[in-house]
Amino acid sequence: MLVAGAAAVAGIALVRAARSAPPNPDGWFAVTVETEPSRLTGPDRPDELARLSERHEVRIKPAPGGRGSEIAVREADGETRDRVRKLKQLLETGEVLLVDQQPEGHRTPLGRVGVPAFRHLTRKGVR
Amino acid sequence: MRALCWTGVNELSVENVPDPGLLNRQDAVVKVTASSTCGSDLHLLDGYVPTMMAGDVLGHEFVGEVVETGPDVRERRVGERVTVCSIIGCGRCHYCKEGLWSLCDNSNPNPGFLETSNGHAGAAIFGYSHALGGFAGSHAEYVRVPYADVNAFPVPENVPDASAVFASDAVPTGWMGADLGEVGPGDVVAVWGCGGVGQMATLASLRMGADRVIAIDRFPERLAMAAEMGADVLDYGDVDVLEALKELTGGRGPDVCIEAVGMESHGTGAQYAYDRVKHALRLQTDRGLSLRQAIHACRKGGVVSVLGVYLGVVDKFPMGAVMNKGLTLRGAQQHGHRYIPMILDRMSKGEIDASPLLTHPMRLEDGSRGYELFKKKQDGCVRAVFRP
Repeated sequence: MLVAGAAAVAGIALVRAARSAPPNPDGWFAVTVETEPSRLTGPDRPDELARLSERHEVRIKPAPGGRGSEIAVREADGETRDRVRKLKQLLETGEVLLVDQQPEGHRTPLGRVGVPAFRHLTRKGVR
Repeated sequence: MRALCWTGVNELSVENVPDPGLLNRQDAVVKVTASSTCGSDLHLLDGYVPTMMAGDVLGHEFVGEVVETGPDVRERRVGERVTVCSIIGCGRCHYCKEGLWSLCDNSNPNPGFLETSNGHAGAAIFGYSHALGGFAGSHAEYVRVPYADVNAFPVPENVPDASAVFASDAVPTGWMGADLGEVGPGDVVAVWGCGGVGQMATLASLRMGADRVIAIDRFPERLAMAAEMGADVLDYGDVDVLEALKELTGGRGPDVCIEAVGMESHGTGAQYAYDRVKHALRLQTDRGLSLRQAIHACRKGGVVSVLGVYLGVVDKFPMGAVMNKGLTLRGAQQHGHRYIPMILDRMSKGEIDASPLLTHPMRLEDGSRGYELFKKKQDGCVRAVFRP
């Protein structure tokens, strides 16, 4: 089923790709975070945000309607998008949620390969 | 520990699996004392929800006792009896703060699948596939609960497990269905599906002052349960539901139509046969029979409140009726955290008793048999509940 799921994701991605213009390699990956922009700028900004800024253009602006701040990162590959999501989790909840050591029953050989592969695919994207 | 695992389409087995531990500082570990089957599990069991993997622990509706807490858990205490919401919220993102808990931004560490299929990912759910977070489920002796302070709710001493277990999902989901429909005095409400959620949507509509609730199903014992609460009932095997609803509402149609069936809807006639064939061939992800019927039946300007689980696309969706009748279409996975404290309080005061849903208390070891009874609605089964 996991394989079917991955195939479905790939299928939907293909349909999306066929329907729309190809992703802009200079595009931005953006998240909205429940925090004031002042917490994300200046010398006291989170270390991870500083590290992201070393390799990427990062844009911070207030979100409308009192929804905190928008963090946009340019040229974000899958790894970078995962880091941005984790930064949002850390800023909002104080921790990065872990799920990789869950109780599980007997995995088939396909499952032993498929579960980590699926996690990689759904965290770091199919684009 | 022992846990009930999904091992393939319509295959379950009780296995020895590792005990859960504290993975995050805001986690708790809960010793499960009752864990219910849920209609939405059947979509997983039947293989319609992709991203299930042999070995995944099922179950998301449960009550138990806190046995371990992480260092950043402030409110919950070891020894506390808790109902845990089936939906995992973080409590701090914009959506959780707005009470839209099932839209939580942070609880699903595997968001890519839903972002691709739906545009955005919602909250994680216990035991509900890797696309919905990959969290181990509650049909087990122990379960790890993330963000325990916001997801676990203390149960009043006088509320038995048989009722408290349904405060995790069936009752708040049903309550939300009526709440999204803004049910109030004078309203006529129709509820499609008399399973646990439909029964609780009926109860909630009556508690919110609905003038009349019409419950629709095909199983006599389920219709009798709804009638016992005060609903009028329609057996869709015996009557033309659309005609009957018009007659019962002076030609207007119900003010609020609550759909508590979902993607594996049953029915009669050519439309049902068409849906079954397309669904079996995977040419559509969801069978929309009851949803179409709710939209057709709803009065002009009314609300259709969708509680049944849908996965992807519904064929022959009557958008013309939605637009031309000025309908409001609402739906969500349950925003349970909004309602659970109120529900537990009402249970404590005797205003809500969900225990009639528990028709089959069973051992975890009998999990496979429990799901068979539940799925096939045998022996009057409304809910099989496991006591690990």
